[in-house]
Amino acid sequence: MLIIKNLKASIEGKSILKGISLEVKPGEIHAIMGPNGSGKSTLAAVLAGREFVEVTEGTITYSGKNLLEMAAEDRAKEGIFLGFQYPIEIPGVSMVNFMKTAVNEHRKHKGLEPLSASDFLKMMRDKKELVEIDSKLANRSVNEGFSGGEKKKNEIFQMAMLEPKLAILDETDSGLDIDALRIVANGVNKLKRPDNSFIIITHYQRLLDYIVPDVVHVLYDGRIVKTAGKELALELEEKGYDWIKKEVENNVIA
Amino acid sequence: MTHIGKNTKSTIVSKGISAGHGQNSYRGLVKVLKNASNARNYSQCDSLLLGDKCGAHTFPYLEVDNSTAIVEHEATTSKIGEDQIFYCNQRGISTEDAIGLIVNGYAREVINKLPMEFAVEAQKLLQISLEGSVG
Repeated sequence: MLIIKNLKASIEGKSILKGISLEVKPGEIHAIMGPNGSGKSTLAAVLAGREFVEVTEGTITYSGKNLLEMAAEDRAKEGIFLGFQYPIEIPGVSMVNFMKTAVNEHRKHKGLEPLSASDFLKMMRDKKELVEIDSKLANRSVNEGFSGGEKKKNEIFQMAMLEPKLAILDETDSGLDIDALRIVANGVNKLKRPDNSFIIITHYQRLLDYIVPDVVHVLYDGRIVKTAGKELALELEEKGYDWIKKEVENNVIA
Repeated sequence: MTHIGKNTKSTIVSKGISAGHGQNSYRGLVKVLKNASNARNYSQCDSLLLGDKCGAHTFPYLEVDNSTAIVEHEATTSKIGEDQIFYCNQRGISTEDAIGLIVNGYAREVINKLPMEFAVEAQKLLQISLEGSVG
């Protein structure tokens, strides 16, 4: 599904990603953990196609295609979804209008007819139930006046509507209380299929109690310094990131 | 807007959109005549700037000849944020369509008051006028 080879990227000349290599296969859930400033959100930004991040080296292959040559909206239509860390507000644009435009753009790309208004509203109702989102959300402007938790739930709702092949969730668990966390995790678990994949970016073990990863990577100072199974997340929770930092310093790991 | 009788209320909503090298001006007059007691007016003048080479100017004129009048004026200026465009891009919406959505959302308050057929025309016209004019 996704093959990243030796990815290096900078923002305004400052090197942030220093050689990331990663492979995600269909059906897999990968967790990327790491301390603040390690480059986790930059990695998400590169995958989504944010222009202010400059890729200086490396390749990214997505479903056999060169991802770096695709514009952000094309990557989205090919099935990449980014759950933003800080979802932005778009006043005046209703969720219904926004989602209808997005869904129909995706359908057009696949050669399908746009959904009729009634079919679309039915789809919204079904997905709202699936991810336990409040009904009133649809009539509001995109993220306007939403609490932090509501914004994150709204990201999951949009993910349910767009049915991506590769979903990257950037710190989706930050700012959530236990109930909201459970709802978000349930949403992800219900959307999991053998032919789609998830990259979950998080600081904490918490979310990974509910969304069990197949692989856990630790990102530190722009490099993946450790890769293991889900127990790694538990070990990190116990020992903290200092443990990783010490290991790197002592050159125990590259 | 002229207030003539007693206990009158009015609202003015102006939504200006500037693009390219355009300079937009709002010039509005709120007049409260001598015998128009307890008059109330609220004027809202919003400007949306698309790109960094355009501008908007507001010239409100208030001619109030009755001391019981309450006249309010508010002006806002905004741009479409790059983050907002990227959010739309990431959902599969092209930059041009995203700007169309956002501009329509911005003007909705005014367009909603127009008769249906005219509103539809106005929206289409807005879309065509903005085609290719975005930075």
